[in-house]
Amino acid sequence: MTMKLSTDPSAATLLPIAKKEGISTVWDRHRAMQPQCGFGQLGVCCRICWKGPCRIDPFGDGPQRGICGADADTIVARNVIRMIAAGAAGHSEHGRHVALALQGVAEGRLPAYQIRDEVKLRAVAAKLDICTEGQDIPAIAAAVAKATLEDFQNQDHDAPCNWIEATLTKKRLERLQALHVLPHNIDAVITQIMGRTLVGCDADPVNLILGGIKGALADFDGMCLAIELSDALFGTPSPVITAANLGVIKPDAVNIAVHGHNPLLSEVVCEVAGQMDEEARKAGAKDGINIVGICCTGNEVMVRHGIPLAANYLSQELALVTGAVDAMVVDVQCIMPSVSEIGACFHTAVITTMAENKIPGATHVDFKEETALENARRIVATAIEAYKRRDPRRVNIPDFKQTAIVGFGVESVVGALATLNAEDPLQPLIENIANGNIRGIALFAGCNSTQVAQDSSFVTMAKKLAANNVLMLATGCGAGSFAKHGLMTQEATLEYAGDSLKAVMTAIGTSAGLNGPLPLVLHMGSCVDNSRAVQVAVAVADKLGVDLDQLPLVASAPEAMSEKAVAIGTWSVALGIPTHLGTMPQVTGSAKVTELLTQTAKDLLGGYFLVELDPNLAADKLLEVIEERRKGLGI
Amino acid sequence: MKRQRENAIVFADPECCLGCHGCEMACAVAHSGTGLHQAALAGLTLRPRNRVVAAGGVMMPVQCRQCEDAPCAAACPTGAMLQESGQVGVREKNCVGCKVCVMVCPFGAISVKHEGTDPENCRTNGGIARKCDLCAGTGRDVPACVEACPTKALTLVDLEEYRQTLIEARAAELAQSLQHLKSRKARI
Repeated sequence: MTMKLSTDPSAATLLPIAKKEGISTVWDRHRAMQPQCGFGQLGVCCRICWKGPCRIDPFGDGPQRGICGADADTIVARNVIRMIAAGAAGHSEHGRHVALALQGVAEGRLPAYQIRDEVKLRAVAAKLDICTEGQDIPAIAAAVAKATLEDFQNQDHDAPCNWIEATLTKKRLERLQALHVLPHNIDAVITQIMGRTLVGCDADPVNLILGGIKGALADFDGMCLAIELSDALFGTPSPVITAANLGVIKPDAVNIAVHGHNPLLSEVVCEVAGQMDEEARKAGAKDGINIVGICCTGNEVMVRHGIPLAANYLSQELALVTGAVDAMVVDVQCIMPSVSEIGACFHTAVITTMAENKIPGATHVDFKEETALENARRIVATAIEAYKRRDPRRVNIPDFKQTAIVGFGVESVVGALATLNAEDPLQPLIENIANGNIRGIALFAGCNSTQVAQDSSFVTMAKKLAANNVLMLATGCGAGSFAKHGLMTQEATLEYAGDSLKAVMTAIGTSAGLNGPLPLVLHMGSCVDNSRAVQVAVAVADKLGVDLDQLPLVASAPEAMSEKAVAIGTWSVALGIPTHLGTMPQVTGSAKVTELLTQTAKDLLGGYFLVELDPNLAADKLLEVIEERRKGLGI
Repeated sequence: MKRQRENAIVFADPECCLGCHGCEMACAVAHSGTGLHQAALAGLTLRPRNRVVAAGGVMMPVQCRQCEDAPCAAACPTGAMLQESGQVGVREKNCVGCKVCVMVCPFGAISVKHEGTDPENCRTNGGIARKCDLCAGTGRDVPACVEACPTKALTLVDLEEYRQTLIEARAAELAQSLQHLKSRKARI
């Protein structure tokens, strides 16, 4: 039975323990929720005014319009673009947070932070057309922060956001400009979505969806700036060997799980934990402090510091069921509110840190950049205190972990390629795509969802695409899936890659000093790091003089669930990338919106959504798309 | 001789009903022969065989009561409606869509509108009598509406079991009274 819920071996070990202890998990709650409301699944339920709720009968017999007169097309379009707005808000709040921190560092106000990667900061400045000649690092940082914050402040509707303008191909920018979907100000665009979807405003589904696309592109802008500035502050990821799955939790250490998304918190916790290791040993933990990651915070610290990943989204509760997590420190996004209750079943301190993200039953430590070191010390001290209360008889750490080679940012991908051709690093990649050794590139992104047996779709699709010589990149909980299932290893490349892909991966890996091939799937980071993959694609497109919608490039979110995934998927489509969804989007109640997203988008943008719930068929369809694109390029 | 049982019914408890219409959608999809998203995308016209109504200060779905002496079966001129397999069944191929059953049903539980895709320029518009069939033939253990109701307002009632429960409960009360009477008598 467990196999239907999750293909993660840790789940099979820990779910029976949860059951015995009377702890309900995400899968129990999923079962209790069945069957789920059909109106909601189709997206035809409207709750945006108090005349409602209204729902349209999708089968023609009951009401075809809500009380205000909105039909299914209007309601579905409004609902889905509000999801995009929420996703964009999440990512851009993260981005704003990092940009303000950079500004604080530039002004010398934040002693806990510094510019760790000056080369990256200079590269970012150059990208944003900021003159750095004769400027010192704080001055450059200040200028970069200012230009970045303009993306939240610009009031000129005709001037696109700085980051998006600096990031995409010229052709793509022109195409988006012609559709009036280039964002000029992230906050304004999100506000505009909320405004236009208010009762009695925009009712045209096409216009609404275009507004949503603009919001999704604002999401892209927010992601770009968030990751690039994070690299400047915390270092640019480079390949590192680490491990993934719950076996990374140590029985004789104070285990601190960092969970959420924003590196501003986790970076300082990691640093302070290093300084407080001795205190943990004094408390009886002979292995000191062991930091493990969950969800995208896990990915952030994994790609930057090689900190092992304990769990992706659906197994966050299981980390607590091990009985060996002493503190779970969370910031924003994808934190199940159930963690505080499960933590309370053990000795675990669940610690919230953000003023606007609290959970009843959790301990709250108000984390501020100005007092970050002091806050982090309190968090680590709380973990050590909790460790003293741990009941060793209730510790059940599954004996599962897989090696994972992670940390493939744009710089390290280009760096690895440069070992083959220092003058023109992209040439080997382009050559191998052109000659068919690499048929195409697939970016795996997105979440886990209880609609799919955890990790199963990711793994099934990756093995099939690999056998067909597709180069794969991954971010977010998708990357977590691959890491946990051993697909980020050199062995996986040797076992699953098709012959020509294997040869290319081996040539690059060997020349980059890995003593063997690159791992089968390249871990690019957290879900906010999806824009890293776009940078590689833009570089290739620019070099070939084509646009993104001509490249043999596809994206897939086979287990998507979050509003952030709705935003990411939509910008992926807007950038010209055929984007697979392996869970059913809540739009099928409107034939018009469904057609817009899956077909009309192809003419307007080159990218489109491809919905296929069966991972085997989905892989076949993506392979077809790749071949179609190759044909278009004449290769 | 075959033992006779009352027809089972779907019973709605108005105290639990929130009026979400989930039972209607589940009914429509259960009888469509396909899934929710597929039916919506194919633009199928589907009709639930139950209706949520609000009247007299209560709210609940209404569906066929599977009457033992069903007026619809008595009135049907083609013999399409009849008692079979523990319910009032409709032999669809015999139905001409004359609507006599609709008019005689005291519960308004029958409709004769067509389903599926819209017929055009055809001899028939496809309308035949449709009513709750307790999801017979959809391969499920309990009717889709009962399964879908988020507040458990709907139950499939087997009258024999229901009556047995009532009888046993009342008998248990009587037994207790008798015991009390006996002990009182003894004291007197």
